[in-house]
Amino acid sequence: MRFTARQLLPGAAALACTACNRVQSTLSWSGDQAAASGSIWNLMLWICVPVYVAVLVALALAMRRRESAADVDERAVGRGFTAWLALIVTLLSVLVVASFAVDRRLNRPAVAPLHVRITARQWWWDIQYLDPDVSKRFSTANELHLPVDRDTRIELASADVIHSFWVPSLSGKLDLIPGRTNALTLTPRKVGWYRGQCAEFCGLQHAHMALDVRVDDAAGFAAWRAHQLEAANPPATASATAGKRLFESGACAMCHAVAGTDAGGHNGPDLTHLASRRTIAAGTYPMDRDHLDRWIADPQRPKPGALMPAVPLDPRDRGAIDDYLMGLR
Amino acid sequence: MCSRFRNSLAAALACALAVLPACERERREYTGAPTSKAPPPRESTLQPGAPIASPADPVGAHYEDIAFHINEGGRLFRAFNCSGCHANGGGGIGPALMDADWRYGGRIEDIHATILEGRPNGMPSFRGKLTDAQAWQLAAYVRALSGNVRNDAEPSRREGMAATPPLDRLPKQPPRDGDPSAGTVPAQ
Amino acid sequence: MKAILAATALGALLSLAHAAPPPRDGDWTMPAHDYASTRYSALGAIDANNVARLKVEFTFSTGIDRGQEAAPLVVGDTMYVVGPFPNPVFALDLTRPGAPLRWKYQPHPQPAAQGVACCDVVNRGGAYANGTFVFNTLDGTTIALDAATGKERWKTRMADINKGETITMAPLVVKDKVLVGNSGGEFGIRGWLAALDLADGHVVWKAYDTGPDVEVLIGPSFKPFYAGDRGKDLGVSTWPPQAWKIGGGTVWGWISYDPALNLVYYGTGNPGPWNADQRPGDNKWTSGIFARDADTGQARWFYQFSPHDLYDYDAVNENLLLDLPIGGTTRKVIVRPERNGFVYVMDRATGQVLSADPYGNNNSILRIDLRSGRPVYNAAYQPKPGRTTRGICPGSAGAKDWNPSAYSPQTGLVYIPHINLCMDVEPSEVNYIAGTPYVGTDQRMYAGPGGNRGVLTAWDPVKRKAAWEVKEDLPLWSGALATAGGLVFYGTMDGWFKAVDARTGALKWQFQTGSGIIGQPVSYRGPDGRQYIAVLSGVGGWAGAIVVGNLDPRDATGASGFVNATRDLKEKTGPGGTLYVFALPK
Repeated sequence: MRFTARQLLPGAAALACTACNRVQSTLSWSGDQAAASGSIWNLMLWICVPVYVAVLVALALAMRRRESAADVDERAVGRGFTAWLALIVTLLSVLVVASFAVDRRLNRPAVAPLHVRITARQWWWDIQYLDPDVSKRFSTANELHLPVDRDTRIELASADVIHSFWVPSLSGKLDLIPGRTNALTLTPRKVGWYRGQCAEFCGLQHAHMALDVRVDDAAGFAAWRAHQLEAANPPATASATAGKRLFESGACAMCHAVAGTDAGGHNGPDLTHLASRRTIAAGTYPMDRDHLDRWIADPQRPKPGALMPAVPLDPRDRGAIDDYLMGLR
Repeated sequence: MCSRFRNSLAAALACALAVLPACERERREYTGAPTSKAPPPRESTLQPGAPIASPADPVGAHYEDIAFHINEGGRLFRAFNCSGCHANGGGGIGPALMDADWRYGGRIEDIHATILEGRPNGMPSFRGKLTDAQAWQLAAYVRALSGNVRNDAEPSRREGMAATPPLDRLPKQPPRDGDPSAGTVPAQ
Repeated sequence: MKAILAATALGALLSLAHAAPPPRDGDWTMPAHDYASTRYSALGAIDANNVARLKVEFTFSTGIDRGQEAAPLVVGDTMYVVGPFPNPVFALDLTRPGAPLRWKYQPHPQPAAQGVACCDVVNRGGAYANGTFVFNTLDGTTIALDAATGKERWKTRMADINKGETITMAPLVVKDKVLVGNSGGEFGIRGWLAALDLADGHVVWKAYDTGPDVEVLIGPSFKPFYAGDRGKDLGVSTWPPQAWKIGGGTVWGWISYDPALNLVYYGTGNPGPWNADQRPGDNKWTSGIFARDADTGQARWFYQFSPHDLYDYDAVNENLLLDLPIGGTTRKVIVRPERNGFVYVMDRATGQVLSADPYGNNNSILRIDLRSGRPVYNAAYQPKPGRTTRGICPGSAGAKDWNPSAYSPQTGLVYIPHINLCMDVEPSEVNYIAGTPYVGTDQRMYAGPGGNRGVLTAWDPVKRKAAWEVKEDLPLWSGALATAGGLVFYGTMDGWFKAVDARTGALKWQFQTGSGIIGQPVSYRGPDGRQYIAVLSGVGGWAGAIVVGNLDPRDATGASGFVNATRDLKEKTGPGGTLYVFALPK
């Protein structure tokens, strides 16, 4: 099949633009681990592209018609071949050594790291912040906050099938395998929002298993962390109070936990500070009242197969629950 | 490529065989799984006078036939702490679910009613806490514990500690109404 | 007659060796017999020589065929029996032949409570004081009756079955207060001990076993012996946030009282959930023993037998208050045959552990470090979620569960009826849903090394070793009774009520009662002056769940793993609910 340049151009432009995106791109290196992989990528690019071009040029030259075999200088060809071989061996050796060095760099022990445990479930991320003081541990979901310029050691576990943790702007992929705990160190260097996603097919909604990552400076991170340790905000309005009662007495509390209330389920994400997050349902919808209402009314619409059922609720009751949840900042 | 074969019948057969594995064994319903409009099931086999027939609820049979629903029921069985009282079917705080003795009826619609309404001697009522489809899924799994679903829909061995023999190897135990050994409240 | 008088005098003299002798030595007014929990009867008419002639004097059917764990009480010429759910109280007239019913009281507890009782719908007995009989119902009500007429004096609701909270323990009356504790550690119930006024039943004080110090009644008089138990609000800081609210530590077992120190001693149950991964930290103040001021409830000291418990080692066992010669002086100690497999001897004024020695087959805890007071857990046998850890000894029911031991001042031995079970465990994540079990393990128990599932050990707390042992096929789940006649009485789960020689363990007499025995035997002097032995027969409890619940033996994890250990029990016994009273022929 043949394409014209005009047909190819938009695709090429789009492809090129992914490199400009800072939030989720393997070519935008915002952390040490991504930069390490990036450095070897660069090296390979600058070695392999010239070699490739040289091979193509040599091929083109070789396909030129020759006058006679007598024109060929055997010894010159032999010397050229040897030189070329030496060059290739040298370049490959450089790549091997560089690759080894980068691998060691990626696996250096973390220095005074923050400890986080991420358990992947179908199809959301269960994030637990660990602390030597057990009363300072807390859980959140689908949104990972990291301090800038500091190592974070992430333990990766899975509650069901194989998933893969991938925040391309910060590091490469690492699988979360049931029955095994992997560990990954992240050292972000630029403050901002990033996006990650599951990179190992894990079932029907693998495509809707995104992860928001926020990198904050030390003060911002400490403030966020202190806030997450607090119990849930009590309801502020009458409607929210009714919503809390519906939440605790109905199907919601069977699966979800809200710290400081009777709801203590682990089947679904911890909702203690739901309204402080940017997205819901692992990046499927933005976090706002309208989308929250749509999600609760029928989670199967955007995410068919998601383990959250469509709980039959009177629209007024659902509104009260929305009011309560919107207050859980 | 089929055209390369000499014998077109053999070719057609080969293509059909290649395509067959793509056929769905069963349809998974994430939304719109059927719920029941039938009246609540009778709890007693006795009726005064000439009996009125009580046909089985087709909704129940639907859930018993589908491996996905039975497996989901198994997941919910642990998630909602049914296993805390009923263990892996052997019982504990609650009665055994893997045998043929049923205090309150052992058909799937009876079990569905038990889960939603609760029973007087300690079974909690989950109405309003589960969706109707979840209750059917749980009931289908409970039926599977005593071998009362089709064998190719039965779950096989558990991933965790082997507590019971694999369910698809247990013999089918049709329910007998009324557990003779326990369940009645002594005179107060 | 002279022999009886001499034995009684000797018994009375020897009984001065322990705290607080009972008011009338022929009575049995509380399940433990006395505040020191010796379960020792000073009556010696029935002895090793004549016990072979022991015969049934009368029987009484409770009408309930569930586990009978209670101790029959005898005050003067009336016997009081509390049954399992629905918790009727029977008063029997001992002056007339056949002990006919004097009165019967039916409390009508909620039937739904049966659904949140972890380990059969048992009741461990009542208590008598000042003409009042007090007991607890399964659905969490403490009731006081006029002991003469059976009329209800007061009734106080203490527990909420909707959260999974029940009461099975026998209350203890100390001075003018009734001490009551809750059950429900398998339902995420926060444990407490409360004192109710004996006159009208209002709550005088209530001490929780997790949470902030102000609720645990920890104040300036709290002086724990070990450094690990000192600090502010440890009942919060040794738990993940909010986890202490559903943390367990229930008080479903035994309480002792030392009138000289005015301290009550009681143990706290396991932390919740059983899956320890969900509650990192020491989980104070679960699986430990509290000493509290009897009047105010303020804690004096605490010791944790199993910090960050991994195995459901509740610490609610009996606390024998003895004065023993240790290290050249007489020490006032607590002897505790603990669930985690060690017999602890502790100073009851300070909480210091003087010795801790294994009395069964153990591998889960290597030893107790007496300097820090902490057990040294065996890393090879620590359960982890998603993995099956096999061969953990003792199993979750411990080396000994609730069933209490007895002490004989004649022999100086503690008679411990206990079990020899090991287990395989697989923890998994569990959701907290109020009113449903909050456990999170699959486990199966089985006989430990030796193959016998039960054992009666006669333990010398001074020499710190066993004097003799009687192995039993089935787990021993009944209490023990020691008498001045040099006998120890206990029952087996297949219905044999046995008397063994207190010095040697030789079997002297046994009687088949028709259903397994898990109750507490008692001895009393009847109105005619003769010595009687009484015990309730009726299998059940956690160990007998397969029979009373008609559970399926094909599921090894049934009844939290006990089904696997007692798979053969349905062939050996059936449900029952009868009181048996024995005496020598006239």
